Amino acid sequence: MTKPFKELGRNTGKEKGMTHQKVENSRTSGKRNSAEDPLGTNSEIGRKLRQYYDELVSDDIPDRFSRLLSELEEREIPQPATKED
Amino acid sequence: MGENPSFRDGLLAAVPTLRAFAVSLAKNADRADDLVQETLVKAWDKQDSFQPGTNLKAWLFTILRNEFYSQMRKRRREVEDSDGSITAQLSVHPSQHGSSDLTDFRKALDLLPEDQREAIILIGASGFSYEEAAEICECAVGTIKSRVSRARTRLQEILAIEGESDFGPDALSAQVTKSAVA
Repeated sequence: MTKPFKELGRNTGKEKGMTHQKVENSRTSGKRNSAEDPLGTNSEIGRKLRQYYDELVSDDIPDRFSRLLSELEEREIPQPATKED
Repeated sequence: MGENPSFRDGLLAAVPTLRAFAVSLAKNADRADDLVQETLVKAWDKQDSFQPGTNLKAWLFTILRNEFYSQMRKRRREVEDSDGSITAQLSVHPSQHGSSDLTDFRKALDLLPEDQREAIILIGASGFSYEEAAEICECAVGTIKSRVSRARTRLQEILAIEGESDFGPDALSAQVTKSAVA
């Protein structure tokens, strides 16, 4: 996998709670051990929860977010803050 | 052009799930969008502190959640001066999306305390592992597990009595106010 992000000041670790380790996400494969999964496919609550959330996720996304990111990007151009080690 | 197009793409791709999480936390679509906007700006400004190869989505959820709670604290301070307004603000529900059979579920979810609601959303809907959710909420894995379990029990209770009890705006805001002030 190509690394999409610049390698910058690795592990500065100054932000509390910002040090997410690579944790295998067992949910993306939809295969969490169902014996210990109270919200698995057999759970009515779990099913409704995903239905509720998926509905929100599939909402139309306002343009404002894409515009905002473009503005943020343009703002960066004058100051070439490339930290090359 | 953008020095960092893939960071931008990563943020943009995360917007739908960030919005869903924000709506679940804030219970208000407009506030949720403001939260997402604030999250994107913060993420952009501190992108140097993001460690490539780690979970961008979890990192963004952490930022959004911190933003939500800091806004909540601010609001609560304001509410002490002007009581009553919080009830009106908090009980505005996001526009009723799609199927109506979810309405009761949505209301039930809104009745949960925030810590339980976010835990059950992160685990049951956003697709995070217990470890990731614990990092996002800055608490122990066991705490997340017990919050999820309590949330699930509570939802089952609420939904089971759903036919007998009318979740009118009064019942809702009474609960909301209680939990917001507690």
